Amino acid sequence: MGSEALVRKLPNDIGGDAAGKIERVEHELLPWEKRCHALADVLDFHKIINTEEKRRGVESLGSEMIGKLSYYERWIVAFANILFQKGILTPGELAVKMQEVEARYTAPETSHHG
Amino acid sequence: MSDHDSSHDHDHDHDHDHDHDHDHDHPHAPITADEKPGYYDVMETAVRELLVERKLFGADEIRRQIEVLDSRTPALGAKVVARAWTDPDFKSRLLANGRSGCEEMGITFYDDTQLIVLENTPDVHNLIVCTLCSCYPRPVLGLPPDWYKLKPYRARAVYEPRAVLEEFGTHIPDDVEIRVSDSTAVIRYLVLPMRPKGTEALSEQQLADLVTRDAMIGVIPVSYLKEAA
Amino acid sequence: MEATPQLIDSVVPALGELPVFFVGDAVNILTRSPIGHYRMPTYLRGKSGTIEKVIGTKAVDNEEEGYGRNAGSKGHYYRVAIPMTQIWPDYIGSPNDGLRIEIFENWLERASHV
Repeated sequence: MGSEALVRKLPNDIGGDAAGKIERVEHELLPWEKRCHALADVLDFHKIINTEEKRRGVESLGSEMIGKLSYYERWIVAFANILFQKGILTPGELAVKMQEVEARYTAPETSHHG
Repeated sequence: MSDHDSSHDHDHDHDHDHDHDHDHDHPHAPITADEKPGYYDVMETAVRELLVERKLFGADEIRRQIEVLDSRTPALGAKVVARAWTDPDFKSRLLANGRSGCEEMGITFYDDTQLIVLENTPDVHNLIVCTLCSCYPRPVLGLPPDWYKLKPYRARAVYEPRAVLEEFGTHIPDDVEIRVSDSTAVIRYLVLPMRPKGTEALSEQQLADLVTRDAMIGVIPVSYLKEAA
Repeated sequence: MEATPQLIDSVVPALGELPVFFVGDAVNILTRSPIGHYRMPTYLRGKSGTIEKVIGTKAVDNEEEGYGRNAGSKGHYYRVAIPMTQIWPDYIGSPNDGLRIEIFENWLERASHV
């Protein structure tokens, strides 16, 4: 029965659960977080990943990732997974691209401005 | 926003922008530590660039959508509220159809959502929440604050709204009915707060200046201190 | 709802074209447990309420859209009013306090008694 509950009640379905005091936190979105939000909207406009698929993708990360990743961290990981599932991207392509992006910032200091 | 994208294949814009901000005064070490994007930041750039390379959408679409998001703030909702307070015909149209009411004022809905405007009265106090995720009237209020997306608010607003409101400093007498709206479908909500007493002489814009985001979520009332010069 | 005058009664609407519930109808929320993705929070399953508003525009079944059909089985959503004391037997507050939520047609059944 314990494991069934994990399947039946999604980790985001928390209405009525016991929870602590409301900390009135807020923050100005980081540039990448705002880009991530815009990306979500554009993916939905084109129905590449619709809003409901994005939610499902986040829910299916599982409760540990949902608990430990921040809001937009969950989104971008979910987008990657869904794009793999749909055959639009492969994990290898994304890994190579991420190395390429990272390399832009670890280039020698002298060639900073290219 | 200057730091999100570029029209060519490789997105170097944002490190360049930062370079110009910092290069003059600071030596290299702190800059590189600062500028090295985090893991998820890199992932976002990589996903976006791959999709643009595949022509699934254009880089310009992301840039434009960031402008769209930046243009949506609680000031828009506040103008809607102030208009409703001063124009009874507008108010009845707004209550009948929140989306078309906002559209009358030029507030476009860039997604498929509808809007229900919930009027607070001396007898009814409305509070909005999304227990399953973070549904929010983004076209009219912009993006929600973090607390709206976190567990304590989402879990408790539907179970003990009065205790939640007390945490925001809002006491609702027992003879006032509380209505909590949980958005799970394509319908979003905007609370139309009560117009505070003593504001008869204020202009529509002065009224709008009184209306806060939290009042349009329903966690606090709109207040007015006459003394303010 | 206003009376609907002079409907031509020879018109046969398509299945699902018209709403099946109307303002004031008593309804029960069903108790099934979908897995993977759902938009009917568990805290409301099996509860009873009253239709407060029929959402005019038909919309996609958002549970189906979680898997990216983007084709949409459109149907009606209903704004349902549920007393807090019905949801939470130990509710603290006024007996008039209530919850409102929009529910897709396939999650509702007509209540046998009002």
